[in-house]
Parts: sequence; C-alpha cells; structure tokens
Amino acid sequence: MVTPAPQRPSDGHDGPLEEARAWGIVSYLLAGLLTFGGFGMFADHLLGTSWLVLIGLLAGAALAFYLIWFRYGTR
Amino acid sequence: MTGEISGSLNLIGFGLSAIGPGVGIGLIFAAYINGVARQPEARGMLQPIAFLGFALAEALALFGLVLAFVL
Amino acid sequence: MSPLVLAAQGESFTPPGKEDFWWPILGSDTSPWTLTRPAVMAILSVVLIGWFLLAATRHRSIVPGRLQFVGEGAYGFIRESIGRDLIGSRDFLKFMPLLFTQFTLILVNNLFGIIPFVQYPTMSRFGFPVALAAITYITFHAVGFRKKGFVGYFKDLVPPGLPAWIVPFIFLLEFVDKFITRPLTLSLRLFANMFAGHLLLLVFILGAEYLLLHGAPALKIAGVLSGVLAIVMTFFELLVEVLQAYIFTLLTALYIGGALAEEH
Repeated sequence: MVTPAPQRPSDGHDGPLEEARAWGIVSYLLAGLLTFGGFGMFADHLLGTSWLVLIGLLAGAALAFYLIWFRYGTR
Repeated sequence: MTGEISGSLNLIGFGLSAIGPGVGIGLIFAAYINGVARQPEARGMLQPIAFLGFALAEALALFGLVLAFVL
Repeated sequence: MSPLVLAAQGESFTPPGKEDFWWPILGSDTSPWTLTRPAVMAILSVVLIGWFLLAATRHRSIVPGRLQFVGEGAYGFIRESIGRDLIGSRDFLKFMPLLFTQFTLILVNNLFGIIPFVQYPTMSRFGFPVALAAITYITFHAVGFRKKGFVGYFKDLVPPGLPAWIVPFIFLLEFVDKFITRPLTLSLRLFANMFAGHLLLLVFILGAEYLLLHGAPALKIAGVLSGVLAIVMTFFELLVEVLQAYIFTLLTALYIGGALAEEH
C-alpha cells in the first residue's frame, strides 16, 4: 500500500507546492501591507497627517511585489 | 414596519471590492489550466506568470480588506 | 417583500449570528471555564480517532483488512504526498506524527460540521485553530533555529542575490511574514472557512424553516428553494472541510521543510 516515493521531478512539476506557493504569496502581501501600513499609521499618529497611511500601504505592496517577483517569478 | 441597519459602510465596500479580484483570479488560473492542458511541457514556463498575475489580483483584494479596517 | 412577510402570523425571524455558536453545557454564560459543547466534541473526536487507529492496527497482516486498508491509506497519503515531498526524504519521519495528528484531528473535527445530529464544526471556535497554528509556529521556528543557529536562521531569511540597499526592507518584510503573518493566516484560514460555512448552513436551514412554517404562501416556494440550497451547500461544506484539513497539514509540512532547507 505504501509505495516508494517517486523521484522529485526537476522539470517544474511540483504538485502540492504550487498551491502552497499561492498561500505564500497571500502571506507576503498581507505582511507587506500590514507592516508598512502600520508604519504609515504610526507616522500619521505622530505627525498628525492623514495620508501617510496610504503611502505606507503602497510602499508595502510594492516591496511585497518585488519579493514575490524575486522568489516566485524568476525561478 | 421599519427596521434599522447598523454597522459600518466599510464592510459593504469591502464586499463589493472582492468581486473584481475573485473574477480576475478565476480568469488567470483558467488561462493557466488551458495553457497546461494544451501543452503540458509549458507548465514550467507558465507557472511563474500565473503566480505573478495571481499576486497582482490578490493585492487588490487585500487592499480592500486592509482599508476596510483602516478607514 | 415586507407586505408579504407582514401577512404571515407568528414570530419574527432573527438571523443567525455569532451567538449561535455559544453552546454551554456546564457553567455560567460569562465564566471562561464553562464546559461548552465544542469542547466535549473535541474530546470525543480524539477518543474516536484513537479508537479507529487502534482498531486499524490491531490485526496487522500483509494483506490488509478493511479498517487497516483505510488507516494505511490515510497515513500513506500524508506520508508520501505531503511528508516526503515537502520535507525531504532525509528527516521527514520525525515530523510524521505531528502531520498525521493534525490532519486527522482537523478532518474529524471539521466533519462534525455536517454529520447529522452533531452539526457543529469545532474549529469554528477561534481558540482551537489558534492552538494548532501555535504548535506549527513553535515547531518550525525551533527546527530552523536548531539547524542553522540563531543568527544563521535570520541571515537565511533573505533570499540571496538581492541588491544591497533593499536588503533591510526585505528582511523586515520577511521577518514580519514568518513570525506574524504566517501563523495568523494559518489559523484564520481554518477558522474563517469553518465559521462562514456553518453560518451559511444556518442561514439556509433556519431560513427554510421560517419561510415554510411562517411565511405567506408565495414565500413557501422560497422556503423550498432555501432547503434545496441547504443540501447543496452541505456537499460544498464537505469539500471545503476536507480541503482545509489538507491545506493546513500541507502548509505545516511546507514551513518545516522551508526551515530545514539549506538555502531558499
């Protein structure tokens, strides 16, 4: 019943890894939005402005895109 | 007979804004599945593109989620 | 819609909400130590799983009987497609108890959501997925720290080949991702799927009951439709429950494998 495991193919077929990558992407995006949005909100609270949150969110999203492209887009 | 709805309007905005990314992600992976079905050898090439597209569409959904709480 | 509803006699409809999940058995409504129905069901699920696995391995033979076949099938599935592929064939055996326990526990507890007369997914109480995700969190960080050393683990967070000026930001992003967002999404995904699924079933079933019993005749058709949708959503719930158990175990194995990997 328990067969020996197949060799891990090296041509890009990953099986369950694809789905796990999708959740990794969601996780990275959320992390970027939350940290840099959090920094933006904190800076807003300190300086009294109201638009730094948005800049923080956009910067976080851009950084997360860069990391996702680097990790998953070019390999 | 009248009723009262209480709550924040943010949630309606968040709900409506989740329609777009939902459709977008469905289209992206439909194209990926089509491509792999026509030519299974192209899987390695199509996969990074599919995940990049997914990241872009998912970012909009997450923007909606985060802004529903922030604003 | 409201004139038709006004034509009905009987009590008004309160839509199901989060108070429908509170089901105390012993104790008051406000104390944190009340024994609730999901707690009893979780203990029952552990007893069930233990009984099943003991019965499946009692008469071990090369040609398996039925119980042994099912038990071996479940264990083989987790071991081959999740354990060996994601953690690597060298040290995946150490983590097989954790993975198999998580998979069967989440699966049985999720299936409680649609088994008749039970119909309450215990994972829809937020504490339970948080506890399971906390075990995963501690495990994969401890494994990474033990393998690469304290500083080496942090150095490995950043993928190699980045331009040097962006490394601090990427390090911050990766740190927040691995230490905050990953356990958060892991627990939240399981909790939200189970909570929303149960709430959906409640809306359809309670709505069908209310519309059929207290609605005007024109609304009884809507009640029948709601009942049909409740059946359809039950099958959908079955799919979602099995999938969520699989994804949780998959991600646990992936994080452990990622912590053990030499470099990204």
